[in-house]
Amino acid sequence: MKYSNPQIPEGINTSKQHPLKEFLMLTSGVLVLIVAAVLLLGFFADKLAHHIPFEVELKIVSQELLDAPEPGPMQRYLEGLTERIVSAQGLSEEMPITVHYVDDDTVNAFATLGGHIYMFRGLLEKLPHENALTMVLAHEIAHVKHRHPIRSLGRGITIGLALSMVSGTLGDMMANQIVSNTGMVTSLTFSRDQERESDKTALETLMVLYGNVVGADQLFVVLQNAEGTMKVPEFFSTHPLSAKRIQHIHAFSRELSGSTTAAQATPLPLDFPNWLSLGATEKEHE
Amino acid sequence: MLVTNIEILPDKQIVEHLGLVQGSSVRAKHVGRDIMAGLKNIFGGELKGYTELLQESRAEAMERMIEQAEAVGANAVLNVRFSTSSVAAGAAELFAYGTAVVLE
Amino acid sequence: MIDLIILVTLLALGYGFGSYAESRHYKSIIARENRLRHIPAVTSRFPPMNNNSREAELVSGSVVISVDYFKRFIAALRNLVGGRVTSYESLVDRARREAILRMKAQAEQLNADIVFNVKLETSSIHKGRGNSIGSVEVLAYGTALKTQQ
Repeated sequence: MKYSNPQIPEGINTSKQHPLKEFLMLTSGVLVLIVAAVLLLGFFADKLAHHIPFEVELKIVSQELLDAPEPGPMQRYLEGLTERIVSAQGLSEEMPITVHYVDDDTVNAFATLGGHIYMFRGLLEKLPHENALTMVLAHEIAHVKHRHPIRSLGRGITIGLALSMVSGTLGDMMANQIVSNTGMVTSLTFSRDQERESDKTALETLMVLYGNVVGADQLFVVLQNAEGTMKVPEFFSTHPLSAKRIQHIHAFSRELSGSTTAAQATPLPLDFPNWLSLGATEKEHE
Repeated sequence: MLVTNIEILPDKQIVEHLGLVQGSSVRAKHVGRDIMAGLKNIFGGELKGYTELLQESRAEAMERMIEQAEAVGANAVLNVRFSTSSVAAGAAELFAYGTAVVLE
Repeated sequence: MIDLIILVTLLALGYGFGSYAESRHYKSIIARENRLRHIPAVTSRFPPMNNNSREAELVSGSVVISVDYFKRFIAALRNLVGGRVTSYESLVDRARREAILRMKAQAEQLNADIVFNVKLETSSIHKGRGNSIGSVEVLAYGTALKTQQ
């Protein structure tokens, strides 16, 4: 019997593909897959959440959870405005809107589950006239009308769950982050779509109430100034760029009346500046 | 190509030993299978996806071992053994090795 | 953004050093394989029964080789889509051949002619550390036989 030890050719137990090529193909393939999966899941979750009755929302956000709005002249004024907008938008009786005035520096306003809308002093004191204020309020009420809060919640839960299931099997922290970040960034497109939808409804509301959309862009001028020089690409942001939203408003008004400056904006009530901080002074007195 | 894990064949003479030949393969299943396996962990039972994964890996490792044996001019691989390791979570690494021989 | 920069840096480092180390390792493996070619390793358990009286001794060789970051990243992505994890193939191949070489080097020191009943085992040191360290650990052992002169 003979024993020999011939040379075995290289490359039988390894693949010949170049690692960089494999890397590029895998990275792009995985990114495309995640984007597609998130869009698909988001789409269906959105559609399903739309069918949840509004009473469920009201039950989730029970009155005990949220403080009742503090009475005051500003609160009364906002409630009056809300009533006009609600009837202009034709909201059904089953969708009660509760507006809350918050005495805080934050330049913001938001709508949440159960038809609760929060308006912050920081934003209100920057608005030049009633039309701009109506634009803000109508925009937030439009969010409720289109069921955006519950749809965002449903979508967020579905996408978050799916992403955590996928990233749980990855075993590498960085790859994990890439997967979840890509998923999150992709899901922001839904958020931007909602903002555009609400902008559109708000403009239609202004048309019903004032017969024009004068001053509607003031809100976004204020937001643009508040953002300052820090520019985040639209891709990474929950809202469309303020500049783009202003463009949309101008296009909308051109379609309707031909000119943006034809009509005069309705001024705010004379006492408006005093009402702004009234909530705070009352609190101090207590 | 004769592949076996016995070392003496009753009616065949070994003419020449050609040393160790080996084949290995690392494979993974897609994430859907991983998630299903995670769910199956609650109820128990066979993880079909992973059984399939092991079979694929084993087949590929065998194939590569045979390819090496052919390259050195053997016509049989005797005393074949398998071993597994775990380089990455969710991936199966199968390793097959044996002695390449020339039978008369 | 910072995450992305860290990731790219790690990938570049992993790829650069990893592929350099791999090609060097392969060169050294091939050189040593050629040098030790006179000692065959076989898996048979029975040495040929001829009249030469022989001396037997257990020889072994082991090695632990780490994954580089680039390979690990590719493997993680591959885990999503499934299929052949090509980045680990060369790693496993290197580890096995290195362990066998170390075993053969030990046999050479004993002036052995051949190694019988070779077995390869894998251990898992890295398993106890969660998934923080990826490595291949191989132990090769067998019986070195030498002809008594």
